[in-house]
Amino acid sequence: MTRHEEGPHHEVGLEEGADDVVVPQGRVVESEFASIAVRLDREGNSVRLRVEDLRTGRVRHLDALELESIVWLGEGHLTQLLDPSHERWRG
Amino acid sequence: MTLDLTELPPRPDTAGELVDVPHGWEVREVEQFLYKEARLADENDYDGWEALWTDDALYWVPVDGEGDHPRAKVSIIFDNRSRISTRMKQVRTGKRYAQAPPSNLRRIIGNVELLGGRANAAGSVDLEIGANFIAFESRERGNTIWGGRTTYRLRKVDGAIRLVYKKVVLADNERAVPTLGFLI
Amino acid sequence: MTAVVPSASEVEEGGSRYDRLIQPARVHGTLYTDPSIYAEELRKIWHRTWVFVGHESEVPQPNDYVRKQLADQDVVMTRDKDGEVHLLINRCAHRGLQVCDDQAGNSSSFRCPYHGWTYRNTGELLGYPYNKGYGGKNQLPLGMGKVARVDSYQGFVFGSLAEDGPSLDEHLGAAKGEIDRLVGLSPEGRVALDAGWLRHRTRANWKFLAENETDGYHPQFVHGSIFGVTGSPIGALYSDNSTAVTRNLGDGHSENDLRPEFREFAEPMRWFGTTPDRVPSYVQAMKDAFGEDEANRRMIEGAPHVMIFPNLFIAEIQVFNIQPVGVGECVQYSTAVQIDGGHELNQRMVSQSIGSVGPAGMLLADDTEMYERNQRGVAMADPEWLDVRRGLVRESVDADGFTIGAATDETGMRGFWNHYKSLMEAEDR
Repeated sequence: MTRHEEGPHHEVGLEEGADDVVVPQGRVVESEFASIAVRLDREGNSVRLRVEDLRTGRVRHLDALELESIVWLGEGHLTQLLDPSHERWRG
Repeated sequence: MTLDLTELPPRPDTAGELVDVPHGWEVREVEQFLYKEARLADENDYDGWEALWTDDALYWVPVDGEGDHPRAKVSIIFDNRSRISTRMKQVRTGKRYAQAPPSNLRRIIGNVELLGGRANAAGSVDLEIGANFIAFESRERGNTIWGGRTTYRLRKVDGAIRLVYKKVVLADNERAVPTLGFLI
Repeated sequence: MTAVVPSASEVEEGGSRYDRLIQPARVHGTLYTDPSIYAEELRKIWHRTWVFVGHESEVPQPNDYVRKQLADQDVVMTRDKDGEVHLLINRCAHRGLQVCDDQAGNSSSFRCPYHGWTYRNTGELLGYPYNKGYGGKNQLPLGMGKVARVDSYQGFVFGSLAEDGPSLDEHLGAAKGEIDRLVGLSPEGRVALDAGWLRHRTRANWKFLAENETDGYHPQFVHGSIFGVTGSPIGALYSDNSTAVTRNLGDGHSENDLRPEFREFAEPMRWFGTTPDRVPSYVQAMKDAFGEDEANRRMIEGAPHVMIFPNLFIAEIQVFNIQPVGVGECVQYSTAVQIDGGHELNQRMVSQSIGSVGPAGMLLADDTEMYERNQRGVAMADPEWLDVRRGLVRESVDADGFTIGAATDETGMRGFWNHYKSLMEAEDR
């Protein structure tokens, strides 16, 4: 019997590595500069990635098309986003 | 979401583990039983069909593929033994207009596979079977071809095969379907 | 299809086409079978008035979307990142392709599979691949189509394809009170329609359904089989002795008001076939929310049975969305009401709905058989008319100024036809 799965047509899984992030349970991506919790969120009509800045509690949900777009961001564009004056400490 | 899903029992199609095919079942006897069940349904033999069921019967026709949890979301049919009995009583009145006059029906069952065993509440293991079907229905509304896949669970009670569970996944259950007045 | 036109002797001279076809005591059979009338209905009713599309609880999270139908239009109901609900027409501005293919999902933007044009879930064009071919980014004043007006009442989402016209508030009129009654059964003041939808294909004109929903004359006949074997008390509500009334709520809306019957019994939760001791936490929550007396009143009077023109039918614990497919075909979408703060009731509402409605429902499959026989019947040449005069001899006006008839009278149908006629007589734009 086909097992019923919620969400999209493909199972979302991340490759297992040494200090890996296992998304379904919710894990922390951390360095001395930032601390971010990530987990899959199934509250919506299809699955999303829930990303939480643990230092401020700010939460963002990223859908599949947004994640794909991040994967394809040019390095220059991504670097711009890292400029502290770009959004968070603007002005 | 108003329903707390944690309160729900496991969904009946995947509850428990699918284990090896239990001993004591022959493919041929299983097929003969499925063909008999199909014939009783085709011929609107309501007494004969209803007598096949065990007391813990479950007759389920979901929508949207395999369906969602049948206690939290709507299905086309989700009958326990008591509701099967009500459905049969209604149709026996002869005034269940969706099935009065009854449909003319013939169906073919094929691709019969013994899928495994499924533990039941009494602690024994029921046989789980998958099969495909095509049913041809004729009534004044017109002719309808129904097709899909059925999962059955069978149990031997006092030496006779009985029907415990029947889930019918219509191939077109993601779209609008016409009145389903007969026993699918 | 019949093309039988009323003979000259049958109709008064002068007046509009609809003056001839819709008369106080009878309506003409061609209203259900004539493709040109159906085409005119699409323009003057389905593409103009407020049509029920879905419920906000179907898109609970920001960026959720579901595909819905608005007559012949494939619509995507979205909730944007700020929580606002939109009704987009599922059509790419480039080559007209259907943009969304899944029935539901969560995405802040939609990308057409044909050439990659990408839209925000508000319909705004966000970009297109290889933009030099268009002279750069942001060069095209295009977007996905939109349902011109979107509004909601108590979470029920309606759309109008006309830029202007009466507001939703004006359209709903007295029917708002009936939706309020339903929502008033929630101690939290909210219901959800998130139990999924059954889709029942029906080979009948949509108006047979709209008329039948508050026809209190048919239940004992069409549903006698199920009332008899279950000992259901519903049949008595629609008997000749019933104190229930059929009310023309105006604007094409009508109800079977069963409250007089339930007030006589004065038993909380009788309307739901249960007793307070079986749903104690719900009863307590209602009393906490509204006080003892008001909570009891609500739990005695129960849920409404109201047909809201042209396509929303609230049948106590079920909601129906009727959408036409052609002159002789429609789809009935049905679901179970889910009450916020009513978890003791909600699983039972799902279970009862499965038993009653949808393609195999022990009530609605029989109604649908009647609709389909009705459609075949009106294709016959004679008699040309359908009679809608039942109760004309005993109608009265209630304290609020609404026309009411007895439980089995056709007062609701006449209200439907009055409003239908006023819409169909309006000028094409």
